[in-house]
Amino acid sequence: MSFITSYCHITSDSCLVNGGEIATRDLLSNDSWLKQIYKSQEFVYPKFYKMDSLSQAGFIASELIKRAQPNLSAYKDEEIAMLFGNQYSSADSDIRFKKSYEEHGAPSPALFVYTLPNIVLGEIAILNKWFGENLFVVLPKFAPDFFVSYAKILMSKGSEAVLCGWLGIWDEQINVFLFLVEKQGNAGMEFNVGNLHKLAGLEVV
Amino acid sequence: MIYIGAEEIISPLGKSVEKNFSAILENRTGISVADRAGFNGDSVYISNFLDLSEKNKFENLIVAILDQVIIKIDERIVSSARTIVLLSSTKGDLDNNINDQFGKTILTLATRYYLANQPIVVSNACISGVLAINTAGNFIKAGLYDHAIVIGCDLISDFVLFGFQSLFAISSQPCMPFDASRNGITMGEGCGVVVVSNSEVVFNEKPLKLLPGTSANDANHISGPSRTGEGLYRSVKRTMEMNNLFSADIDFISAHGTGTIYNDEMESIAFDRLDLTHAPLNSLKGYFGHTLGAAGIIETAISMQMLRNQILIKSLGFEQTGTSKELNIIKENKPAELRMILKTASGFGGGNASLLIQKP
Amino acid sequence: MREDLKKQIIEQLNLEDIQVSDIADDTLLFNDQGLGLDSIDALEMIVLLEKYYGIHVTNPDEGKEAFVSINSMADYIIKRKG
Repeated sequence: MSFITSYCHITSDSCLVNGGEIATRDLLSNDSWLKQIYKSQEFVYPKFYKMDSLSQAGFIASELIKRAQPNLSAYKDEEIAMLFGNQYSSADSDIRFKKSYEEHGAPSPALFVYTLPNIVLGEIAILNKWFGENLFVVLPKFAPDFFVSYAKILMSKGSEAVLCGWLGIWDEQINVFLFLVEKQGNAGMEFNVGNLHKLAGLEVV
Repeated sequence: MIYIGAEEIISPLGKSVEKNFSAILENRTGISVADRAGFNGDSVYISNFLDLSEKNKFENLIVAILDQVIIKIDERIVSSARTIVLLSSTKGDLDNNINDQFGKTILTLATRYYLANQPIVVSNACISGVLAINTAGNFIKAGLYDHAIVIGCDLISDFVLFGFQSLFAISSQPCMPFDASRNGITMGEGCGVVVVSNSEVVFNEKPLKLLPGTSANDANHISGPSRTGEGLYRSVKRTMEMNNLFSADIDFISAHGTGTIYNDEMESIAFDRLDLTHAPLNSLKGYFGHTLGAAGIIETAISMQMLRNQILIKSLGFEQTGTSKELNIIKENKPAELRMILKTASGFGGGNASLLIQKP
Repeated sequence: MREDLKKQIIEQLNLEDIQVSDIADDTLLFNDQGLGLDSIDALEMIVLLEKYYGIHVTNPDEGKEAFVSINSMADYIIKRKG
């Protein structure tokens, strides 16, 4: 029986881990909301500042899940798969890159490398040295049945845990939902469509 | 048993898989020079359609190829509840709608073909095609679906060309995978499709067998491969172990071979670690350029044609070994007994994927 | 020019929390003990040279020597501008 053992929500003004709020947006701050969470949670990873919004959100949420679920470090380096998706692909970063050559004089390599939605998986893998299965899909909205069926398939083929994520980031909207599924979990919620629907909440578009 | 067949391709080399394979048998390339295509108005080598209308190109290509593939299968499966459609693409219809690169196309497909299930877009950089085929196989093996139509499509755009130019990754000549003089990729565009099914009879022409494949991250750099080829090594190793195969069982490798110094070197190291340096190997990017999200599908389709016709195809653009580990690169077409082929892919984000196809 | 260069690098490379005063003229830019820049940063430096100094770098390897420190960059710029 697999379980959802930990999860993280980031909305446009709130960050929650396992349902409990850990940060609220300061609308008066000059820092972006994701930077505020990074600083207030005292992460130390300078590469964060080079990342685009998808990768920053993925970094924060996965790090918060790791803090909530420290036994993750006990898994072997190929045992954790990553299964992510969203509606907008990397449109947010794509627009920034397009501006760099249309308005700012030259195509920016630092922006170009983020114009693919799966880069966030690479960032998380690099940080954690995870050599497992990866898949990024684009769907019109968060689909619990897809995540349940495919995560279970991954767990039947050698993955012991699947870090799943929905990175709904577009312009000022942030609807991020990451959750950890463990094959041998024994705490948390049973991993099925009904429970995932509940945990995802209304905001997840 | 999982079957794969009904492969189709629409590319600058031709509008059907037969035309594409004929061109490849003649070692003809789709790469040509495009004047003033680069960011600084420079000439660039690319493999692009010279005769397709620019309007709605992305969607039109996919509809065209689906219409072609439907004739090759039992058409009733297309709108079956037991069928899933997967679309492998990196930038979709970017030029028409940067805000929604896949939505309109997916909606068109769902409506036009009365698709019963929401199509899934696999967008995982250059490994998307191989990954999508693996995903299809996994779904069918798990019993969630009986059939999958796996499409791969990507177009050349200023966006992507300028981006690769900013990385100094574009070759100054038609790409030369694994060659000592190689200096970058040549961009390509095109569309490919394969059908995966647990039923042999849905195919008009006898299908081949698809074995389970895997993916693995390099955990090294988001836009450069691991120097030890760690991710590719792990993926191929897992794929082979999963299928109880040894290096001697592999008759041919369709490698990723983009033509950059780093990628091709990485692949040679990975294949050496896997004891696969003796297997005949090619990159098809000398014919198609790098078609990104379509690459895994188009190149798998050609590899399937090679299996069907029992012929090894020359790795176009290769003359002299340029990697620290020497691979058995195919230097000219030659008939061969082929039973088991390995297809690999590597891409931005550290992804690596591999699959195996067997002639029954 | 060196002060301008530092400002431009901070802006072009999006170096958060780094001030001009944090970069000495001889700080090793690509060294982990120095500024710790990476290969993508090197490519952004090439864009910077084009944007602010009109210098066109055709071979990224040229950058390896030129970008060692602010001093070497200033020397390179002066040399290229003739």
